[in-house]
Amino acid sequence: MSGDTFTFLVGGKAGEGVKKAGGSAANLFASMGRGVFQYDDYPSLIRGGHNFVSVSTATRQITSQYARPDLIVALDARSCETHKGELADGGVAILNSDAVSNGDGVGIPITTEAKKYPNPGLRVGVAGPAALAAAVGLSRDEMEDLISREYKRDLENNIPFAASIYGAVREAIGDRFRLERGDRERPILTGNEAIALGAAAAGLDIYLAYPMSPASTILHFLAKHDRELGVTVMHPESEIAVANMAVGAAVAGARTMVGTSGGGFALMEEALSLAGMAEAPVLCVLASRPGPATGVPTYTEQGDLGFARHYGHGEFPRLVASPGTVGEAFTLAAELLSLVWRFQTPAVLLTERHLSESAMTVDLDVDAAAWAEPVVQDGGDAGGYLRYRDTADGVSPMLFPPSEELIKWTSYEHDETGITTEDGAAIVRMHDKRSRKREALLEHLKGARTVNRFGSGRTIIFTYGSTTMSVLEAVAAGGIDATVVQPVYLEPFPTWELAEYAGTRPIVVEQSAAGQFATLLAEKARVDASAVVKRYDGRPFDPLELAGAIRRAIR
Amino acid sequence: MPEDLVTYAENTWCPGCGNFAIMNAVKRAVGKLGERGVGRERIAITAGIGCHAKIFDYLNLSGLYSLHGRAMSCAQGMKLANPDLRIVSFCGDGDAFGEGLAHMMFAAKRNADITVIVHDNGVYALTTGQRAPTSARGFKGPSTPRGNTEDPFNPLVLMLEAGATFVARGYVGKLAELTELIVAAIEHEGFSFIDVLQPSVTFNDTFEEYNASVELLTETPATLDEALAAARRTDRKPAGIFYRIEKPSNERALYGDGNPVADHPARDERLAKVKAILGTA
Repeated sequence: MSGDTFTFLVGGKAGEGVKKAGGSAANLFASMGRGVFQYDDYPSLIRGGHNFVSVSTATRQITSQYARPDLIVALDARSCETHKGELADGGVAILNSDAVSNGDGVGIPITTEAKKYPNPGLRVGVAGPAALAAAVGLSRDEMEDLISREYKRDLENNIPFAASIYGAVREAIGDRFRLERGDRERPILTGNEAIALGAAAAGLDIYLAYPMSPASTILHFLAKHDRELGVTVMHPESEIAVANMAVGAAVAGARTMVGTSGGGFALMEEALSLAGMAEAPVLCVLASRPGPATGVPTYTEQGDLGFARHYGHGEFPRLVASPGTVGEAFTLAAELLSLVWRFQTPAVLLTERHLSESAMTVDLDVDAAAWAEPVVQDGGDAGGYLRYRDTADGVSPMLFPPSEELIKWTSYEHDETGITTEDGAAIVRMHDKRSRKREALLEHLKGARTVNRFGSGRTIIFTYGSTTMSVLEAVAAGGIDATVVQPVYLEPFPTWELAEYAGTRPIVVEQSAAGQFATLLAEKARVDASAVVKRYDGRPFDPLELAGAIRRAIR
Repeated sequence: MPEDLVTYAENTWCPGCGNFAIMNAVKRAVGKLGERGVGRERIAITAGIGCHAKIFDYLNLSGLYSLHGRAMSCAQGMKLANPDLRIVSFCGDGDAFGEGLAHMMFAAKRNADITVIVHDNGVYALTTGQRAPTSARGFKGPSTPRGNTEDPFNPLVLMLEAGATFVARGYVGKLAELTELIVAAIEHEGFSFIDVLQPSVTFNDTFEEYNASVELLTETPATLDEALAAARRTDRKPAGIFYRIEKPSNERALYGDGNPVADHPARDERLAKVKAILGTA
């Protein structure tokens, strides 16, 4: 075990129940009151290939998977091949001896055992949590409880199958990885689930999306819970339809969110510009994957930072923020939905596959979530309602149909009523109104938390988005005396919070080939990196490797 | 005709443009709907971009002046948010069958409860007369100086095949009938489509041709096949309702009698639901 952490890895072919086995392992650790981080690695295919889930745990909050597992359960030969060299010192590999002839580890005929029951192909995955339960010291009864909770169906076959694996592992390695209990059980959420629930907590009425990894599980989660939550969910014909429907829904008064990845976001930009002109509140989740173009659909990268910060043609107030942890994803989704309604402009919640699809134990303060409320027209308006009333802070009160008043939203430049204009003075007036809105938004953000700081050590490390999780774990695992600075807001960029770092030579960590974040820091905040630690192979950082890279950069 | 349906915006359509007739028919239709209990405050509109879309500024009705080809998507979003509204989407033939073709096909397919009125003049007038998806082969414009090399779409056939539950053709030369079509389309629950033959006096003046070829349908065809046959006629241009069937709208299929905006939860209620899901996460 590396430091205070324990890492379990289960691998097999797609369709063998690998994801379920990994999720069950995560639940086992969480039920012990421990912190959990679960990383699913899967290619873009449905059957075959190689899937693995890595689950790391500690008695504290843990924010990354570890690349070197303490316990591996390899259901097929490829998993054994791929992962046998990764084993941590003192680690154990449990191999399906029906698939692996001469692997280095504890061979158990998992397939032969499974064939004693119907549907053996579906059952092999159960071996994962059964083996883990034995190795970490669960009693036979506790193991049976776990399998009953996790698999629910077909228990009369799953329990004896799990018991045979449990027995074999116990016999071979005892309870070598006995784990202590943590302080209390916490829920486990993926980043996408946290985003969905955060938006729901802010009063989301409608979610629209066209499927695209890694954003799709927001759509799936909300579609599954739509009636329970009271959120209307729809999957239209394209991202273009999605974004334009969202603007229409906002015009009718519905708190609306959309979600996509880079390619879909490109298609949505026209409508985001419409939202900028019409002053329509729309929140868009951009969950990045390696690009350009189709790129690597089921892996991670931070290559869309520049793209996200400059969405939409024309000049209008933009708002982009990116959560650093799954817990922050919940808070930030609520906050951004609230801000788009307060300031009537589109916003982007930028995240990456590593946060979207990784799961971790969270401490959520649901009651503290922001609530989306528009500034509404109250009472009579002498001279009639004006959709684009030229107010001091640029925010025009809203009104929704049905109403006796005339409510005109528009993509054209317009007068206060919302009627098209080409008059020069009128154009300037509306540009200035939108600019004042941006100023008002800036003033608001200056009073809000826009940058997170962790620790107070000598070495300054800048990072953002999902890489924050990797950096925090690296600093903890590597015992590095650092201050980690994470701008949550990326547009407007919170330069007022970063002034103290101007002229410092921090280390920047990001998952981009070009180093876009380092460039942004230099251009906007005059913070020039002494070293930029990058990773852009689609995989998230390993905390131990990252700690090593940071140490080398400090020297 | 209710005069309060006009805004102060200066009208810049060409004198004699067919758009005037469409706007007159809409104003009359709104008046008639008011008499039947659908007040103008419950009618919301969207428009695409083009000459047709100026109707958005001229009509004293609430809504969204959308983007080229996206008016019907914005309209669907409005309806999805508040199904108590009656949504009318004005589109040009370039909006509906060029930039926004996919949105039209899917709006029809899912039976979104909106009314799309296509100002079909067979030309891109506002952008100085380029060919449109409904321009005839051989049509000459600045982008096709030697003549259009493509055959036109048949909008009625497209919408019938896509699953529209109300399909009609109107003609600006038949104002009373056009008014009735608009009333019937707005009253229809589900996707209503009216292709309005509308000459562009400046770029594609088809008044004479249409006056000679348009004839009113004496009755609504009984089946989809009959409707398609009528829509495919080339000897004459039948006008009227080609097809009308009852089918659950997209919104009703999604949430029954629900209404996302009206049913917007109280904060405590929503937070309790979020906590309940977290309790099982």
